[in-house]
Amino acid sequence: MKISKKALIISLVTMITLSGVTLLKVSAEGTAMTDQQIELIRANCLSTKNTLNQLHVSDALLRVNRGQIYESMSTKLMERFNGRVGANGLNNASLTAVTNSYGDQLNAFRADYIVYEQQLASAIKINCQNQPASFYDAVASARLKRTQVNADVIKLNQSLDQYQLSLNQFINDYQASNQGGN
Amino acid sequence: MIDDSRLSVAVHELSSSSKRRFLLMIFLSVVISFALVLTSLSIYNSSGAAQLDLSRPGYQSVRSQAVTNDSDFKNYSSSGSINQTTISEFMDLYAGQATKAKAVDAFGGDPLSPDALGLTLTAN
Repeated sequence: MKISKKALIISLVTMITLSGVTLLKVSAEGTAMTDQQIELIRANCLSTKNTLNQLHVSDALLRVNRGQIYESMSTKLMERFNGRVGANGLNNASLTAVTNSYGDQLNAFRADYIVYEQQLASAIKINCQNQPASFYDAVASARLKRTQVNADVIKLNQSLDQYQLSLNQFINDYQASNQGGN
Repeated sequence: MIDDSRLSVAVHELSSSSKRRFLLMIFLSVVISFALVLTSLSIYNSSGAAQLDLSRPGYQSVRSQAVTNDSDFKNYSSSGSINQTTISEFMDLYAGQATKAKAVDAFGGDPLSPDALGLTLTAN
């Protein structure tokens, strides 16, 4: 099987062009930065790192303390009340559904915090003097992940409100059935 | 005389064989403990325990602020009857703790924005 020189050259040129396009695409995924921005990152490198370190520590404390409260809401109140309602032969389906949804959101909160913390830790490790663009991108990624953690917290708070609504409904039903029984 | 020499060779062989097995045992012990340490560190990092561990270096400043005693968070009893009194008791407990849980806008704000970090060019 003979391969002509022309075909060989064409395939080589195609391969080089394709690899060039791929490289361009990869480099375009990073943030396009001006020289001024890069200089600004280098100039503020130390203060930015200090701010990130402080945030890393304060967020860890926040995670521990808030996590405890969120966990206790479920284990010390919701699940126990649902169990007691169920044990008394009353309908706890709505309360249980909200508690399950709250549990899923709590798991999402835990998982998203791990991802955020790891991203922030890796951003802190990057040398912002030598790799300002990578540092900027890593911080931007950590910012997105922190926003996700905040969204999880908002959902948890909404679930707490939802449980309150289900509780009100349960009380209404309970009172109605008691009055109906009398 | 022959028996003595055979005995001496046998003792020597046994001794060197024991030494080899002893060294192998130490080597294997080190390898196994190394593998166990790697596994436990990997679980420590991936399970989220690392994120909750304020005993790590760098967290001394906030360690004392971690809530270690949540005795004010009462456990609601999971057994007993359901009546107006027990429901009201739960309602009060729940409302109080839910207010506390929602009081803080955790992870809100935008401390990682380029503006907050001073990474935005200001137009002069």
